[in-house]
Amino acid sequence: MAAAAKKAGEAGLLNLDPIKELIELVSNSNIDEFELETENMKVAMRKLSAVPRAVPAAPVAEQAPAPVAAAPDGQAAPRDDDRFVQITAPMVGTFYRAPAPDAEPYVKVGDVVEVGQTLCIIEAMKLMNEIESEVRGRVTEILVENAEPVEYGQPLFVLEKL
Amino acid sequence: MFEKVLIANRGEIACRIIRACRELGIRTVAIYSEADREALHVRLADEAYCVGPGPSARSYLNIPNIMSTAVLAGVDAIHPGYGYLAEQAHFADICERHGIKFIGPAAHTIERMGDKAVARETVRQVGVPTLPGSQGPVTVDAEALAIAEEIGFPVLIKAAAGGGGKGMRVAASRNELGKALQIARSEAETAFGSPAVYIEKLLEQPRHVEIQVLADEYGNIIHLGERECSIQRRHQKVVEEAPSPAITPELRARMGEAAVRAAQAVGYANAGTVEFLVDRDGNFYFLEMNTRIQVEHPVTEMVTGVDLVKQQILIAMGEPLPWRQEDITWNGHAIEFRINAEDPDRNFMPSPGRITLLSPPGGPGVRFDSGAYSGYAIPPYYDPMFAKLIVHGRDRREALVRARAALMDLIVEGVRTNVDFHLRLLEDEAFQRGELSTDFIERRRLVSAS
Repeated sequence: MAAAAKKAGEAGLLNLDPIKELIELVSNSNIDEFELETENMKVAMRKLSAVPRAVPAAPVAEQAPAPVAAAPDGQAAPRDDDRFVQITAPMVGTFYRAPAPDAEPYVKVGDVVEVGQTLCIIEAMKLMNEIESEVRGRVTEILVENAEPVEYGQPLFVLEKL
Repeated sequence: MFEKVLIANRGEIACRIIRACRELGIRTVAIYSEADREALHVRLADEAYCVGPGPSARSYLNIPNIMSTAVLAGVDAIHPGYGYLAEQAHFADICERHGIKFIGPAAHTIERMGDKAVARETVRQVGVPTLPGSQGPVTVDAEALAIAEEIGFPVLIKAAAGGGGKGMRVAASRNELGKALQIARSEAETAFGSPAVYIEKLLEQPRHVEIQVLADEYGNIIHLGERECSIQRRHQKVVEEAPSPAITPELRARMGEAAVRAAQAVGYANAGTVEFLVDRDGNFYFLEMNTRIQVEHPVTEMVTGVDLVKQQILIAMGEPLPWRQEDITWNGHAIEFRINAEDPDRNFMPSPGRITLLSPPGGPGVRFDSGAYSGYAIPPYYDPMFAKLIVHGRDRREALVRARAALMDLIVEGVRTNVDFHLRLLEDEAFQRGELSTDFIERRRLVSAS
């Protein structure tokens, strides 16, 4: 996305503001791929889904782990409308989608959940904590992979309020 | 050898610890609250994890989240810094149980020295001079009165679970004692979770002089001399120096020896500080022992050449102390000024906000330890101290001159600070002569010039 914007900027054909706005709009929507062509430019964007956090505890020890400091960038773009709600991690631990390794996940994308319904487990030091939904809604995005470590405040789910 | 260390703290001390780890080739893991996303220690560390919202109780004191982070990040050790969890025995215990090394003394040592009444009694038994007072906590008022009459008024009633200058009440006479005890107990309960109080004689215009000790895990304990910390406001240190203008080499040796004995009495390991009060006749009395690295450690580092934080890590890694007592020498004079975001016109109330420009001083003998930078927004949740300016000179006179120059070179824009207070302190004749005592600020009326 940034590459497209940079190119357009370098070509000197337009100012960047409309491009920036476009990027934000796409970011904040459900759109995964977007292409726009006008007579003097073409913009193509593809959203990376749920960028895995570069948490070095993962087995891939060879890479120099990226600092997790830039937390705001790593989070999913905040929703502008009131329609969507982010469920964030209230604690530090490991995210699990199901109550047991071979069990069905608590929720899938598209499921409707009620207030208080368990969405996932965050395990911290052998203690399993059920994370419950604060709203009635439809699961539109699951932002974390199973067995991934999560930090406090990390977005886990996006729900569309019903 | 530690591969990775988690720093369970923030601000300048977190940066200090990261620096020491870097020098030792150890990878660093920072924790931060949501209010500290832009903090310097987060940027400097190799990895960083958010552990909670702004308020310390839910982030920097959030043991479950901190331990969870430590386990997930696979750290070998945790350095607790000062404050926060540094003297929480049960946190040290939890680390031990998870196989993560707590960089400090053992949990039971922290506990023993953490109960101020027990600590007093422990050191008294090995011949360390203690202030006349109760042998343990006083529970019965009649007992308190008897002790107070024996040692003489005025007396100080102190929380056994307290420390750091908090939880103390003065009773100047018999009449005041009953009420003072009541209030002190209730304050102690609220602030420290225990109403236990003990009684000590109140000295007149004492100096606060503390001895730095360093012990490895094999029983070798040495002292690194004293720090004079008498310049305090509301029992919070503001300026510290080493050596103390009032301590002769002979007194240093005796106090040092006493401090080492105190440390030996509890089988101490790692860095610690034994605090004393020194009266005008040069008699010294044990106050308390702090089982952690202290804010003012740099002045000792500057005069001894010992990197205390690095030593803490090495000791925790099982290294023996590389020095014996006779190897420690003292060179020149160092003074530290705590730089706080405070409003001197509002009784030094904390003054958080965005630092629009920070330009630290430099040059020979000038050290600036800070967690701030230009553009950094000081959050409102934490201690207002964001930097320490330390100067070193060949003698106290040179240190004073250098201090003034450095304080004038320091530029901080965007927040109010206590820098002007420090400059006025340097102009005070009594300060220049080194005539210090714990009531210095009030006595010399060093309040806001406006």
